[in-house]
Amino acid sequence: MRAGYLYLLIAVMLLGLSFLKDKQKTREAVKATFKIFYVVLPVLVFVFVLMGLIQAYVSREFIVSILGQKSGLLGIFYAEIIGSIALFLPPAVFPFGGYLHDNGASYGAIAGFVFTAILIGVTTLPLELKLFGKRFTLARNLLTFGLTFFIAILMEGVLP
Amino acid sequence: MKRMLKNDAFWFLSLSVLIILVVYGFNAGKGVIVAKTVYDTFFEVLDIIVAVSIFIGLFQVWVKPQTIVKLLGKGSGLKGFVLVCTFPILMGGSLFTVFPLLKALREKGARIGAIASFITAWGGKAPLLPLESKFLGWPFALVRIGFVIIFAFVMGFLMDWVGENTEKIKQEKSFLVDL
Repeated sequence: MRAGYLYLLIAVMLLGLSFLKDKQKTREAVKATFKIFYVVLPVLVFVFVLMGLIQAYVSREFIVSILGQKSGLLGIFYAEIIGSIALFLPPAVFPFGGYLHDNGASYGAIAGFVFTAILIGVTTLPLELKLFGKRFTLARNLLTFGLTFFIAILMEGVLP
Repeated sequence: MKRMLKNDAFWFLSLSVLIILVVYGFNAGKGVIVAKTVYDTFFEVLDIIVAVSIFIGLFQVWVKPQTIVKLLGKGSGLKGFVLVCTFPILMGGSLFTVFPLLKALREKGARIGAIASFITAWGGKAPLLPLESKFLGWPFALVRIGFVIIFAFVMGFLMDWVGENTEKIKQEKSFLVDL
């Protein structure tokens, strides 16, 4: 059985449980679900197009050479740069990361990409600056980039 | 707001179609490769995306931002620190939804280390585990979430250290001030 069906089953069961407890809240939840789906799906399709473009134009050897295990620390660094400027919503990060991994990128590089793509964002910078100020924003983003580097190295070591 | 979202969806989808058409126009074979990748991946993840959307929708309704602020405000000191490094892992949403919530926490007296830990822990993204495990495998997903907790702890300490060098936050003794 597909794992997706199992998740759907669990999700529907939780919805049922929620409905039994509070109908109004469940209606809100369903509305929120549609909204999330509506926001996420088009972005996902766009990321799939990017994946298709890589499939069509970028060779596996190229990905291996910049993000593969042999690329080592530099590969993690490149992956972090890609993650930092990628304009992905979190749900799109994992399919893209998995795609890169299938095409030869190391776990360390993927970890670097995933963390920076979720935690550092060019699109959210203005809001972070406005709400928390220059010093916080600069420090948080730089520290995130630096710590991700170490965690990516550790993950590369831990995972086979 | 709704209008903007509508335009966003429209924009992403039409750009996607346009790219496929342009690639197809230059080289039919490559165009088919792109379209096939989109088609295959789309149906590979559709059920998971629906399930994940339901999880996040339920979480949003049952765990209101006010609840989170209250919960995190309750435990000061070590307990608050542990909470702030673990609890946000369960949350969905994007940084756009998390930042305003944290602004409220900050205004209620949370230290900047707590704010930074929260953001980092939020990067754990447990609601997306079905997606992550599907594309990167369970070992990667679980090891990553384990590291997120360590990441969040270290981040909090470092950011507090950064903060102490400029801001006068000495009067705040607890990690998160009681609300």
